Amino acid sequence: MSLVAEAFVSQIAGKVPFIHVGNQVVSELGPIVQFVKAKGHSLSDGLDEVQKAEMKAYMELVNNMLLTAELYLQWCDEATVGEITHARYGSPYPWPLNHILAYQKQWEVKRKMKAIGWGNKTLDQVLEDVDQCCQALSQRLGTQPYFFNKQPTELDALVFGHLYTILTTQLTNDELSEKVKNYSNLLAFCRRIEQHYFEDRGKGRLS
Amino acid sequence: MRLGGPPRSPRSGPSPEGPGSSPGHVQFGKNPQNPARRTRSPSPRPAAPSGTRGSARLRRPDSPRRAWPAALPHCVGRLWMGGRPPSAEAHGPASRRRAASPTQRSRASPGTSLGPPPQPSRGAVAGGGSARGRAEAHEEVLPGQRACKMAAPMELFCWSGGWGLPSVDLDSLAVLTYARFTGAPLKVHKIANPWRSPSGTLPALRTSHGEVISVPHKIITHLRKEKYNADYDLSARQGADTLAFMSLLEEKLLPVLIHTFWIDPKNYVEVTRKWYAEAMPFPLNFFLPGRMQRQYMERLQLLCGEHRPENEEELEKELYQEARECLTLLSQRLGSQKFFFGDAPASLDAFVFSHLALLLQAKLPSGKLQAHLRGLHNLCAYCSHILSLYFPWDGAEVPPPRQTPAGPETEEEPYRRRNQILSVLAGLAAMVGYALLSGIVSIQRATPARTPGNRALGMAEEDEED
Repeated sequence: MSLVAEAFVSQIAGKVPFIHVGNQVVSELGPIVQFVKAKGHSLSDGLDEVQKAEMKAYMELVNNMLLTAELYLQWCDEATVGEITHARYGSPYPWPLNHILAYQKQWEVKRKMKAIGWGNKTLDQVLEDVDQCCQALSQRLGTQPYFFNKQPTELDALVFGHLYTILTTQLTNDELSEKVKNYSNLLAFCRRIEQHYFEDRGKGRLS
Repeated sequence: MRLGGPPRSPRSGPSPEGPGSSPGHVQFGKNPQNPARRTRSPSPRPAAPSGTRGSARLRRPDSPRRAWPAALPHCVGRLWMGGRPPSAEAHGPASRRRAASPTQRSRASPGTSLGPPPQPSRGAVAGGGSARGRAEAHEEVLPGQRACKMAAPMELFCWSGGWGLPSVDLDSLAVLTYARFTGAPLKVHKIANPWRSPSGTLPALRTSHGEVISVPHKIITHLRKEKYNADYDLSARQGADTLAFMSLLEEKLLPVLIHTFWIDPKNYVEVTRKWYAEAMPFPLNFFLPGRMQRQYMERLQLLCGEHRPENEEELEKELYQEARECLTLLSQRLGSQKFFFGDAPASLDAFVFSHLALLLQAKLPSGKLQAHLRGLHNLCAYCSHILSLYFPWDGAEVPPPRQTPAGPETEEEPYRRRNQILSVLAGLAAMVGYALLSGIVSIQRATPARTPGNRALGMAEEDEED
C-alpha cells in the first residue's frame, strides 16, 4: 500500500524515478547520476574524452528514439491506449478524474509529438525508427560485454532500462519487443546484466 | 580501410565539380565490381569516365556492402522520417544485406556489357514502383550526363543568405551544405518569402517528378535516393555514431540556438527580426517574423516541456550549460580531423556545420554561447574550412544574387535616386495639372495672333463648302 501511495505522490508531485537520501530527494536519471558522482562514485571515470562524448551522444540517442517511441506507443497508438494506458494512468484517481486526466495527458503527448515531427508517423514508421536505433546500439556494442569495454557505464544502465522494459512489458502487440529481439547481442547484453546485477531478486524474466 | 584513392580527394576539394560527378562516392579501388564495370561499360558509352561513374554510382548504393546509407538520413532525433529507400527495404536487416551483395554482384557482372540490362534488375531489387521509374529515368540519362533530370532539375527553395552565410536558416543551411557536399545538381532559389515556396515553408525541394518535400530530413533522404549520398563510405559503426551525434545536436544544441536567435530579446530585435523584416517583401515583413517567433517559442516549450524548473532563468542557465557541454563534446569528438569521419564530409558534418556556422557568424549582441564556441578553436577552424571550400563566393553573396524577382532589399543607390527623382517629378506634374484644370492657373496665349489664322482657315473652309 505504501508503495502505491508513494508512486501516487511522486506522479503528482514530481518525477519518477527518484531516490530519497536523508533529507534529499533527487529525481530523474541525470540528476541522480550527478548526485552519485558528487558522492565520489562515477562509472565513466575511466573513459577518455572522445568516449565520453560518444557516451553522451548515445544516451541522447536512446532518450530521443526509444523514449519517444515508447511514449508514442503508449499514447498515440489507439489500441494500446484504449486497452492499457488509459486504465493504468487513471487508476489512482476516482471517476471522473481518471478519464479526464488520461485524456489530458494524451492530448499533451500528441501535441509534443507534433512539435517534434512525429505527429504524422504511423506505427510502422515508429517501429522502423526503433529498429534503426537498436541497430545503431547493436553495432556499437558489437561483441563487447558492455558498451565501453569491460566496465558498465551510465549508457549501459540506460540502455538496459529501456530494453528490459520493452522486452518484459506486455502490450497489445509485441512488435516492439520483436524488433529488439532481432538483435541477439542486445538480448545477450540484457540477460547478462540481469543475471549479474539482479540475480538475487528471483528468477529472471528474460528467459 | 579506406584506400583514400583518387575519387576521395576531388570530393574534399572544392565541390563544384559539376552535375556529372559525385566522384567521392565511387570507390574504384574497393568494390570488386568496379573493375569489371570499368572495362566493360565504357564501350557503349561515349563519355567513359563520367559514364562509368554514373553507372557505378547508380549501382553502388544498392550494393548492400554498406549497412547505413539508408539509415542515416532518418536520424536527427526527432525530425525523423521512417521510410528507407526501397533498396534498403528490399534487403532487410544488415546481415541479409551482406548476403545479398554477392548475388547483386553476380547479377551485375554478366549484364555489364551493356548499360541498360542491369537497370531492370536494379529496379527489381529496389522493389518499389518509384524506384523502377527512377531506373528508367536513369536509363535514359546513362549514356549522357549525370544531370539526370534533364526534363526538370530538382529545385531547392531556401532562405537567402546573410551574415556571411549562404542561408540564415538552420534547416536551409543544412540542406544546402549537404547538397554541396554531394554535388547534387540542384537549382537553388534563394528567396525571403516563404509564401513563394511551393510548400509554403522553407526549405522546400521540388523534385523532378513535381513532388514537393519540405521536411529537411525528407529532403536529404530524397537526395540519397537520387544517389547523392554523402554517407556512403561510412562504416556501420560510424553510421551509428552519426545517429547518436545528431540526436545530441537535436537535444542539446537546437533548443539553445532557437532561444538565442528567437527568444532572447536583444538578439531577436537587433539581429533576427531585423534581418527577416528587411528581407521579406511588403506586407509580410509586418507580421511574419512575429508569427515565426511564436512558432519557435511554442516549439521550444514543447521540446523542453518536461524540464520545468521554477523560473525561466534557471531553465535558461540549464539549457546554456548543456549546450556548452555539447559544444565541448563535439570539439572533443572532432579532435584535429578535417571532418568528423576522416577526410570526406558526411551528413553529420552538414548538420553540425549548419548549427555551428549560424552561431559563429551572426553578430549577436548577447552571445554567451558564441563566446564559448569561439573558444573552441578546432570547431571554428572546421566551420571556416567548410565555408571556404564549399561556399567560396559567400562574401559576394551578401547582397545575394537572387534568382527570383527580388524584394526591396536589393534597391541600390542609383535606383533609389532615380525613384526619388521620378516621384518628385510625378508630384510636380500632378500639382501643375490640377492647377491648370481647375483654373487656378491659366495660360494666356497670344490669342489675336492665332485667331486670324483660324478665321482664315474657317473662311477657306466655308469657301470650299460653298
